[in-house]
Amino acid sequence: MKLLYSPGACSLGIHVILEEIGQPFAAERFSTRDGGTYTPEFIAMNPKSKVPTLVRDDGSVLTEFQTIAFWLAKSNPGAKLIPTDLEGEARVLEMLDYICGTIHPQGFTRQFRAVNFARDAEDEPRVVAQGKALAEKYLALLAQSWKGSDWLLPSGFSVADCALFFVERWCLRAGITPPARIAAHYEAMMARPAVARALAAEAA
Amino acid sequence: MKLFYAPGACSIGIHVLLEEIGKPYEAEFLNLREGAQFKPEFTSINAKSKVPTLVRDDGSVLTEYPAIAYYLAATNPEAKLLPADPAMAARALELTDFAVATMHMQGFARMFRPANFAPSEADHEAVKARGREIYEKGLAVMDRALEGQDYLCGEFSMADSALFYVCFWWAARLGHALPANVAAHYDRMKARPAVARTMAAEGLA
Repeated sequence: MKLLYSPGACSLGIHVILEEIGQPFAAERFSTRDGGTYTPEFIAMNPKSKVPTLVRDDGSVLTEFQTIAFWLAKSNPGAKLIPTDLEGEARVLEMLDYICGTIHPQGFTRQFRAVNFARDAEDEPRVVAQGKALAEKYLALLAQSWKGSDWLLPSGFSVADCALFFVERWCLRAGITPPARIAAHYEAMMARPAVARALAAEAA
Repeated sequence: MKLFYAPGACSIGIHVLLEEIGKPYEAEFLNLREGAQFKPEFTSINAKSKVPTLVRDDGSVLTEYPAIAYYLAATNPEAKLLPADPAMAARALELTDFAVATMHMQGFARMFRPANFAPSEADHEAVKARGREIYEKGLAVMDRALEGQDYLCGEFSMADSALFYVCFWWAARLGHALPANVAAHYDRMKARPAVARTMAAEGLA
């Protein structure tokens, strides 16, 4: 099993999941900042040029954060990263979809890649401000609808927490103060050994 | 079971899945143009103000297209909306996520609502062009995935419903051409009785 990642990108969430599972895996760095996901080597594995990309032991490639997270959780039941009942599964998927389909691309992408959204340098701060306002709105909504205790879902720790974690890291980068509920979740994540291992590997 | 939908919105894909399942359900029209999704009657059901929203028989609410599709597929195995093979089921989810989170939310969102992405009107054409580029790259990925088969996972699955709605927007709403394999898939989808019933129910036939 090999994870293709870019340091600090959303692939960090999958990196944490693999560390939580605790089985051997390889992690290969393709920095999006250096155009690593547009190299022929990367495109041959994933023509969508996106991380996370997971190359499985049989050589087959799995893409899309939600799908990789769901598949890893289901194929490693011993790690208890997803409830075993359908209702619990659906709730995990729903959270993954909101975090990866709305909060990440709608709230954060434009803050980190303002140049893709603005016609000139003068316009960039407005694009960033708009992204920041959206991200804050989504995070407030997530905190208001929080049904779990320490973790996001009442069913307990799951891959959805690992997805929220990469967003929490981005809040630091973007200078966003998350709601108290989410700040506490970030602290709880940072206390997990698997998180420390994933962060160390990406910083190395 | 009740689906909140807006005619021709992405909820049309979930509407198709409910018709494929063939069990009784209600469909309630949420008038997005008049801002019904922001009124307390609806935000008390789904604070995210989005369709599709599914209210189940016990009153609990499920949101997010891939999560609703997966739930409907898993609770109605006889409808065969999710391949039985786990590797192929993961593929169905992967393709659904790509159609929804990239082709729709990254591609079409820029084409239809550029102001949500760039505050300055002068940027809007560039935002739309970028949306089109993202969407067309997605079409190329889907065209390759359909090579040599009728449906994305061989047999019909939930992934086809997601590809259908992003093609409906491109072909019917914007009048653009689809690549060969995707165009054949779109025609195949329109020929399915469940799709025809959905289009009629949403007033799009």
